[in-house]
Amino acid sequence: MAFKNLRKNFSYYKLYLTSVSLIITTFFAFTSFSMNRIMLDKISENGRVESMCNTISIFLMAFVIFFMAYSNRFFLKRRTKELGIYALLGYQKITILSLLTFENIFICFGALGIGLVTGAIAHKGIVAGITALLRLSVDNALIPLFNVNALKKTVGFIMVVIFALCISNSRFLFKASLMSLIRFEKKAEKGMAFHYCPAILGFVMILCGYGLALDIFRGRKSVWFSIGFYPVGMLTAIFILFGTIFFISAFLPYVMEISKERKRTFYTQIKIITIPNFIYRIRSNAKTLIMLTLFSAATLTISSVMALSLYYPIAAVSRMAPSELECRIEKGDQVEKVKQLVSEYAPENTVTYTQTDIYKVTSKSLNLPMEYSVGTSKGDSDNQALLREKGFECISYSQYLSLLQAQKREDVIKDLCGLKDDECILVKYQPNTDGSDETGKTYLLSVNRNDILVTVKEVTLNNPISFANSVGTLIVSDATYERIQLGGMPKTSILSINGETIENQESLFDELKDLLENSPYLQGHTHRINEIFSLSSSTFLLIGFLVVLFFIATGSILYFNNLSSLTDSKEDYEILGKMGYTETAIRRIVKKQIAVFFCIPFLFGLIDCFFATIVYKTGLMQNILKNSLSLYVPTLAAIALTAIIYLIYYWLTVRSCCKIILKS
Amino acid sequence: MNTLLEAHEVTKTYEKAQRPSLKKVSFSVAAGEFIGIMGASGSGKTTLLNVLSTIDVPSGGDILINGINLRRLTGKSAADFRRDNLGFIFQEYFLLDSLTIRENISVPLTLQKLLPKKIEGMVLTLAERFGIAPQLDKYPSELSGGQRQRASAARAIIKKPSILFADEPTGALDSGSATELLNTLLEANQELDTTILMVTHDAYAASFTNRILIFKDGQIVKELSKQDGSRHDFYESIAAEVARLDTER
Repeated sequence: MAFKNLRKNFSYYKLYLTSVSLIITTFFAFTSFSMNRIMLDKISENGRVESMCNTISIFLMAFVIFFMAYSNRFFLKRRTKELGIYALLGYQKITILSLLTFENIFICFGALGIGLVTGAIAHKGIVAGITALLRLSVDNALIPLFNVNALKKTVGFIMVVIFALCISNSRFLFKASLMSLIRFEKKAEKGMAFHYCPAILGFVMILCGYGLALDIFRGRKSVWFSIGFYPVGMLTAIFILFGTIFFISAFLPYVMEISKERKRTFYTQIKIITIPNFIYRIRSNAKTLIMLTLFSAATLTISSVMALSLYYPIAAVSRMAPSELECRIEKGDQVEKVKQLVSEYAPENTVTYTQTDIYKVTSKSLNLPMEYSVGTSKGDSDNQALLREKGFECISYSQYLSLLQAQKREDVIKDLCGLKDDECILVKYQPNTDGSDETGKTYLLSVNRNDILVTVKEVTLNNPISFANSVGTLIVSDATYERIQLGGMPKTSILSINGETIENQESLFDELKDLLENSPYLQGHTHRINEIFSLSSSTFLLIGFLVVLFFIATGSILYFNNLSSLTDSKEDYEILGKMGYTETAIRRIVKKQIAVFFCIPFLFGLIDCFFATIVYKTGLMQNILKNSLSLYVPTLAAIALTAIIYLIYYWLTVRSCCKIILKS
Repeated sequence: MNTLLEAHEVTKTYEKAQRPSLKKVSFSVAAGEFIGIMGASGSGKTTLLNVLSTIDVPSGGDILINGINLRRLTGKSAADFRRDNLGFIFQEYFLLDSLTIRENISVPLTLQKLLPKKIEGMVLTLAERFGIAPQLDKYPSELSGGQRQRASAARAIIKKPSILFADEPTGALDSGSATELLNTLLEANQELDTTILMVTHDAYAASFTNRILIFKDGQIVKELSKQDGSRHDFYESIAAEVARLDTER
């Protein structure tokens, strides 16, 4: 009988089976990865990845149980009347429970079979991806397709899930009376009371939440700085959380009810159906919708912040290490030795060596930019011995140009227009928080007993030397530089090495590191990028598992919810057809109704993600790349990906609903 | 009177069925008539109603309503035809649960793209005539069965259809509510000139019509006409005919 039921309702169970299979795929792939000793040894330091895996595993398991319980309850409710008839025919509740449990076993083990195979393949794919990305040397033959421990854990977990579903079903069945089973139909709706207060409260709280988020743009004057990041962050989250609850449960129905007053737009063949239907559905589905909205907001924010966190440091490498290789020359023969070593990796004519002498010049000017005064007063530095003298690290305009040419930064060179003797270019670590800059300001450079007055012609973030060797560099005219040089000021020699043939040569970097005795001043552009990938990829991968799972669950819940609602009102569409609604009009009604339920979580999630990303970027990330829109490309990519996933689920839902409705 | 509906040798055979559900059924309905269709279960009443109302397609024969041959209608044109010419009342009311009674009755008029003010005026007038004006802002679930069926009738009649199809409209009502609804239909027929074709099992409900077509095995086996007799006499003759047919079976 259980098997017959599954066959009869296969169209309903199809997506459930697919969703559960996808979830098991993700779970098994994750479990296999977290138990893959070979990979963990390569990417984990001090058990960091292992402990992350353990934490994420708990979330993952909780999420799988929640999703399966939700789906199970969905199918149970759809079949309550049928179960009531079994009871009426004399079936004992324990027999009905066995029937349901058998069905669950069929589905779960079917999905388990599919999930284990696809999960094992996915795990192999992940391993191959990470190996290629991080250039790890891993013997793939040592990694089995099916990790026995992961297999045991997954099968055991699914058994626990089946047991939990059985308990949940038995609670439902044994609590329900025969009458309530037979009479269980969609609840008759009474006139909805539209409460003005929670509706307005929802709207105001949402506005307050977003207003607080935007306040971060006021910089130092903002409450995020004056009160503190975490209390204000918490307050914003509370506003958004409760605002969302009241907005969806009270404000949206209220607005819809008000919109019925606009008779010209309401009395049309589509809106007269869709607006009351929306109000009707939101009464019984507000909780699900709120939960999905918060899920979506969390998923979108996590994926967006994750993408930003990976992309930003990589984009910032162009500032942190602008040359492919760069080191400080501290001993006489170091240049020759470095060149000798580099020549072993790349032909000499393909590599550019630029040696730059940075002169340290003190300044009597007050209020020097932060980059040039940091560490110069007590309190800036813990160690009094490290106190710096206020001043500038100067290079010449020609050196600046040579470095930019070697680094192939044509776009920066294009905008340069030379310097007069008393002019300079000020390189900043990050833009001033109040949006101002130092263009036009004058500074005194103390060379021996003479003061040279220079005027800032331009402020730039295009530093030619890494921050490790110079946090802020003042580019002066060649004539001024010569005067500084003649004054015998303290200098630091930097060797910048550029050329395509030395890119991505990790062993060259390692050998240089040995040669320079682990000097902290050795910097490498591609080395830095590889380092970021290596440190972050496991974290992103693990969070990625959660995000994928969130997407599957959210999309599936929306699918089931819409399918259930529209199937319940199948007769309504029949009558619309008899009244003269064309198939196209009915399709439009179906599409609109489903679109609203997909749009609410997605749009709310999108707005929440937008504000959360702004707060994260402005409040918690350094602003060394200026506020360029291109920085949000990964965020947009994450949003676009989410939109595509939602669109696929939307299309699937519309297709299934139209099939059911129009078939009749 | 003008002929509104003409059925000529209409046949319907369902796939996998051994016998046709309708066998060359021919009859005509004049504008302003109130016709009853009676017969035992499986006699072909509902099949006839479905093919007459463009919900189903006959296997053979022709049906003309207002001179339009229904066999030539497909998809959109059939929907447009239903919108402009036909009204429906069902045993299960089929009101849209999420809409108030006012909105339910307004739906057919929105299809005709009337102005909201005109829609509201028409809804109120008809609701007053049908005695459901105080319930206009309530939801179907808040109404009694009789009120729901009157709301359903109002929704069907408001667009002034050429012909109103009623499928066992009193089937789910108590006798009081059934009488109220039948009087409402009679009033619509007499005062608004609505042509009605009602399928019913009930001789009492059938007595409100002018003419009865009795079906058996997919064919019209008897036609009864009220002519100038009283409704009570008509009821007696219908009941006697139904009893005779039951005995024959």
